[in-house]
Amino acid sequence: MAKVTIPIGPQHPALKEPASFNITLDGEKILDMIVKVGYNHRGIEKACEQRTYIQDMYLIERICGICSHTHSTCFIQAVEEIAGVQMPKRGLYIRTLVAELERIHSHLLWLGVAGHEVGFDTLLMYSWRDREIVMDLLAMLTGNRVNYAINTIGGVRRDITPEQIKTTLAQVDVLEERTKYYIQVATEEITLIERLSKVGTLSHDDAIRLGAVGPTGRASGADIDVRRDDPYAAYADLSFKVCVDNHNDVLGRTIVRVSELMESYKMIRQLLKNIPEGPVVVKVPRKIPAGEALSRYEAPRGEDVHYVKANGTDKPERVRVRAPTLANVQAVAAMLKNGYLADIPIVVAAIDPCFSCTDRMMVSMKDVNASKENVIDWKTLRKYSIDWYRQNRGLDLSKIKISKRW
Amino acid sequence: MSKEETIQQELIKNFAFLEGKIRIARERRIFIDVPADKFMEVFDYAVKKMNFNYLCIISGLDEGENLSFIYHLAQNYSIVLNLKITLPKTNPVVRTVTGYFPSCELYERELEDLLGAKVEGLPKGRRYPLPEDWPAGQHPLLKDWKPENLPESNSGKSN
Amino acid sequence: MAFIDKMVTWARVKSPWIIHFNTGACNACDIEIIASLTPRYDIERFGILLKATPRHADVLVCSGPVTRQIRKRIIRIYEQMAEPKFVVAVGTCACSGGVFNGCYNVLGGIDSVIPVTAYIPGCPASPEAIIDGVVKLIQSLEKSEEKSA
Repeated sequence: MAKVTIPIGPQHPALKEPASFNITLDGEKILDMIVKVGYNHRGIEKACEQRTYIQDMYLIERICGICSHTHSTCFIQAVEEIAGVQMPKRGLYIRTLVAELERIHSHLLWLGVAGHEVGFDTLLMYSWRDREIVMDLLAMLTGNRVNYAINTIGGVRRDITPEQIKTTLAQVDVLEERTKYYIQVATEEITLIERLSKVGTLSHDDAIRLGAVGPTGRASGADIDVRRDDPYAAYADLSFKVCVDNHNDVLGRTIVRVSELMESYKMIRQLLKNIPEGPVVVKVPRKIPAGEALSRYEAPRGEDVHYVKANGTDKPERVRVRAPTLANVQAVAAMLKNGYLADIPIVVAAIDPCFSCTDRMMVSMKDVNASKENVIDWKTLRKYSIDWYRQNRGLDLSKIKISKRW
Repeated sequence: MSKEETIQQELIKNFAFLEGKIRIARERRIFIDVPADKFMEVFDYAVKKMNFNYLCIISGLDEGENLSFIYHLAQNYSIVLNLKITLPKTNPVVRTVTGYFPSCELYERELEDLLGAKVEGLPKGRRYPLPEDWPAGQHPLLKDWKPENLPESNSGKSN
Repeated sequence: MAFIDKMVTWARVKSPWIIHFNTGACNACDIEIIASLTPRYDIERFGILLKATPRHADVLVCSGPVTRQIRKRIIRIYEQMAEPKFVVAVGTCACSGGVFNGCYNVLGGIDSVIPVTAYIPGCPASPEAIIDGVVKLIQSLEKSEEKSA
């Protein structure tokens, strides 16, 4: 059969971010895939050099709206390391608390998006409704639903009151009940399991070789987690399990993420039970002495790396950001090889891509003799995917009944 | 002896010229300035014999007359070894490490696009991250580059 | 024919269909736009539907500062929409470039490439602000239709 290349994007309703994929097909099977991004490249690293550290904090927070605390903390940690600051424990605990709340909101967001990609819109509405609980908690603790700006050099900007601790613990209990239900859906609902099993497979060896990080790597058996392997903030004081799964496919990635939600609830309880008294911030001089530091952070999507070099002034010499999606996107082409066209939406969504963190993207292209070029938009591809699975595998996820308990 | 010191000793034992160039910043962070001509030897040894099996990122720096590239390698995802190579701006050529880490192709393309490095052995491919119509020879991350350097026709501000 | 015009206006005002496009934003505004479709804010009760193709939509909801790579695409999307069409810039970045103003790959707010009808500031714009902005847009549509009638 003739090979066809289909360009998709950059405008598509699925990922809410501009990205373009060139897929080379042989009938229904995918031979090769090129991911082209770059639409989000804003020149942030250059802008950082022209602003002071405090101004950079606000800029770096806006690398990505979903993991804003990630980037802000990772950057601030590097700066604090260069400045040689002795961090106050209470400040670190609050930072970690917001970090885990962010992980919860991000995983619930992903659950909804993944449900939407396979045609399970009820899950989207339910998980995003539950996500509002987390958004309210974050707004209560930090003042904003998104882009919290809780960090400052030397600690955090707000303290936490006993009433807020009580409210947080109560809401975490509610979330845990609801997450138990999502775990049940992910592990027992036959339709969903059949839809997600054996889709987007990434073997353990490929995951290590291609450097997959975060839940994408852990779902392929890679036992990696920066919180345990390279502890930062208050993680050295917490006891938690690293959720590793061996399914190697999208189902594995789903199970890893909902399991991580349960671990986050446990961590939040530990943090709030053991939070020490004391100041939440220490004073740090505006001019950071010369030096360099590499800071790593376990974002909801994987390992986030910031390298900062200081030169004694109040502006950094160099800021280098590597977001987790950049490490994972290489694996997408491997996941889709020999897959079906109908699998593309969910496989790409399963790495939880955050193209704005990545700022840009592109993977090498092997030019195949394209006889015909067809332009297809993402919604059509998504609809095609849902219809294909309904007709060829008898899987209709819109028929899944959600419990009326909630 | 701490794990970091063990690593330091092993490297000095095999590469005597690294004496005095290895700095242990804190636990799990080692910074090394490697002479340019011996860089690939040290890199190869660290990856193959010392189990630094994960490349976090490659950072490029503009240091006036020179360009530096720091390869951040992690051992078991934990201890990070930062290998720095310094090259003159007149000849900023490095060998590719895609043979060890296939996924670093994007990082190396970024060095070429934003700093003007030349990576030998990189397969042909589309540039990254700058747009296709970005003029050649303009490397935004260099210290003396300003947005005004762009020729008017590429300012993109047309209607 | 006046009756048909009235019908069309009524349909457009009572149920504007939107298409959402991210022109290089950090995603915060985008997730707030989607949050306004979910049960707590539920913008669909105003008849607002999220469409995937520009040819079906009345309103283009844009977030993010315009980067060089995106510029051609956003102009193409704008041209694919049928008249009358409206553009809503959501978030500070879309209004003026926001924090990214001055970055080398950013051209500025949305109005540097296409005409904008409504600006919704905020970083990110909260769902309440988005609903408020869209409702104000609908009211101004009603007023302008009354004037031309």
